[in-house]
Amino acid sequence: MKSSLAMALVASVSVAGSAFALNIGDKAPSTTVKMKNVDGREVSIADIAGKEGTLVIFSCNHCPFVKAWQERIAAIGNAAESKGIGVIAINSNDPADYPEDSYAEMQKRAEKLGFKFPYVVDATSDVARSFGATRTPEAFLFDKDGKLVYHGAIDDSQNAAHVEKHFLQDAVDAVVANKDVATKETKFVGCGIKFRSKT
Amino acid sequence: MMALRRLCASGVLVCLGFVLVSCERAASVPIENVQVTPVTGADIQRAVHDSGAKAVLVNVWATWCAPCREEFPGLVRVARQYQAQGLKVMLVSADDDSDVAPVKKFLAAAGVDFPAYIKAQKDQAFIDTLNKQSPLDKQWDGALPATFIYDGSGKLHDFWEGEVTFNVFQQKVVEVLGKQAKPTGGTS
Repeated sequence: MKSSLAMALVASVSVAGSAFALNIGDKAPSTTVKMKNVDGREVSIADIAGKEGTLVIFSCNHCPFVKAWQERIAAIGNAAESKGIGVIAINSNDPADYPEDSYAEMQKRAEKLGFKFPYVVDATSDVARSFGATRTPEAFLFDKDGKLVYHGAIDDSQNAAHVEKHFLQDAVDAVVANKDVATKETKFVGCGIKFRSKT
Repeated sequence: MMALRRLCASGVLVCLGFVLVSCERAASVPIENVQVTPVTGADIQRAVHDSGAKAVLVNVWATWCAPCREEFPGLVRVARQYQAQGLKVMLVSADDDSDVAPVKKFLAAAGVDFPAYIKAQKDQAFIDTLNKQSPLDKQWDGALPATFIYDGSGKLHDFWEGEVTFNVFQQKVVEVLGKQAKPTGGTS
């Protein structure tokens, strides 16, 4: 009985994460929440916002989909940074469920992939909740006015050899060029975020 | 004598443990008996409409997805218990479609001897098709596991994103099948 109840609670917490999804045009929430970066500093989304825009990616270490996309995330993120877009990767998973998502493992992963942008811990999972993020890797791109212009997948295939549509890269290029983003929302299969329980 | 009593007691506990485990997990099946067919979202919609079943439970899962693996025994159990009452369970793997071998291995270990499927379509089109014409106010955004339950006419009755227990599945299956549905077959 206890395990059934516990599992039901886990299920309800997972679903609760999707209750407040952002709409295109919305401003980023939780921008002043400080989160611990892999370099030990406390940073917020407001701290890293770029003059051309801001890219927030909900990510983690353990998820096979993140692993499939992680080199592309690093490449797009690093390139976006160099073009004036502030980039931050946020891990909202509870490491109690996935030890691979611990802070120490995040530090190793960021170094291995050569992230030039912060990779931070969402210690309550509330930042993910406020965005309505439910999966990893899930991208939110805001333009220079702070409005959401792209939400969804990195591209259209976890297999790099099968990619036909570079959704996030195209959106970043459009924002930098001050043009309209052609594809504003995409859906994709990903690992559900393992939200920390509300206290 | 005391030692004998302890041995008997531990034997009873082992047997009881075995029975409890049996209740939760179906026996494995030979991997040769596992069928995995590539499908698109439209294939699933067609299969639901043409199933002839009173209720169809579609579960999208992946071998690497921990909550998917957790809820799997409950899905297999509900499939076995309500198959004779008119339930069809479609297990659709979201693993890369080149990974059929590990999918078959997992299904064999889980005791799935009924037809199973693997997603053979890009995510956006697959998700959009399963969400199409949904009468519900919630839609699947792609997080795993995801489970849909349809009636015999293909009408979507409910949808869960995230891990669900056997009891929740059972309650909804009975509701869609009709209140008179009683579990038969399989482990209980």
